Amino acid sequence: MAAMSRVLRAAAAWAVRRASSAGAAGITGITGTTGITGIGPRLPGTLVPVRHSGDHGKRMFIIKATSFYDSRFLNLLRFYLFLTGIPVAVLLTYINVFIGEAELAEIPEGYVPEHWEYYKHPITRWIARYVLDAPEKNYEKDMALLDVEVRKSELRLLELEARRLMRHRGDGPWYHYETPDKNLVDNSMKATPDN
Amino acid sequence: MPEDHDWEAYKVPPTRTPVSERTTSVPNPVDYFQTAFSNVLDAPVTFIRGWIERWQNSNKFYYYHQKFRRVPDLSQCLEGDYLCYYEAEAQWRRDRMVDQEIVEIVRERMAACKQREGPNQFQNCAKEMELLAQVTKAYQDRYGELGYHGNARTCLMKQKHRMMEERKAAQKNQ
Repeated sequence: MAAMSRVLRAAAAWAVRRASSAGAAGITGITGTTGITGIGPRLPGTLVPVRHSGDHGKRMFIIKATSFYDSRFLNLLRFYLFLTGIPVAVLLTYINVFIGEAELAEIPEGYVPEHWEYYKHPITRWIARYVLDAPEKNYEKDMALLDVEVRKSELRLLELEARRLMRHRGDGPWYHYETPDKNLVDNSMKATPDN
Repeated sequence: MPEDHDWEAYKVPPTRTPVSERTTSVPNPVDYFQTAFSNVLDAPVTFIRGWIERWQNSNKFYYYHQKFRRVPDLSQCLEGDYLCYYEAEAQWRRDRMVDQEIVEIVRERMAACKQREGPNQFQNCAKEMELLAQVTKAYQDRYGELGYHGNARTCLMKQKHRMMEERKAAQKNQ
């Protein structure tokens, strides 16, 4: 009993001595028996072991340049591209896989293929069938336009030729000019020829 | 789906590599690579392609090559018959496109021959070289320096000049 109390007292004295020596170095002990006064730099008051999480470690506030505008731009870009890009991609995949391209074949006897049946890809065939005019129709339209212009040019040439001949020969209905009446002509100066 | 090359166009002669006799007991690693490639890449792709083709074969549709009727040539048109000129011009353009494709095919055959023969090309590709020389000379004679604005009329005039030159040369030789 007495030995225990003496051991305890020795331990307490040892702790105080240790605290005082640490106090000389600047650390305030828990008992506060040797506090150092003054305004020197000193470590934080209580020594407590701090535990950080295993995977992240101590939480830090990292200072870096803003990525707000960049990430906003990329998000918007992806959104607007995929808004029509994904439906178009799905449609093209469906058409190419499940409908497929046409196969080349000889024209059967007595069969006249439609004008869209000369193309291979199904989308081209659809455009040729429902959007564009048949090339034969275009051909005939051009020929009709040429025909009208040919007739116009022929008539114009004939008209020019007729005008030239009538002006030259004077025997046609054109190029008649009004001349003054011959009774209005004053021939009195012809009475004296040697003026 | 894009179509493959036409394997029937040139029948590759059978390879004459000799059968090698195994002299070691070490297995050939090339076999392992081949089995790995075929199992990982070849078989799944072939399976999917076969599935797609079976699906598409159920409802097939065809496309044809258009055959155009021959119309009177530019030299057979009366003067001032602009409709005949238009049809002759269209026919001339189609013929020029066909001739361009012919030259392209002969060039491709020449290139394929060169690739196949490698160092023997100057000996073994003589026929293809001759054919290419003839075809390009003929194309140059007919469509040669007409330029971008060449049409049936300028081509006919070029032919006329060529015939005149030939006649002059023939008369000089007499």
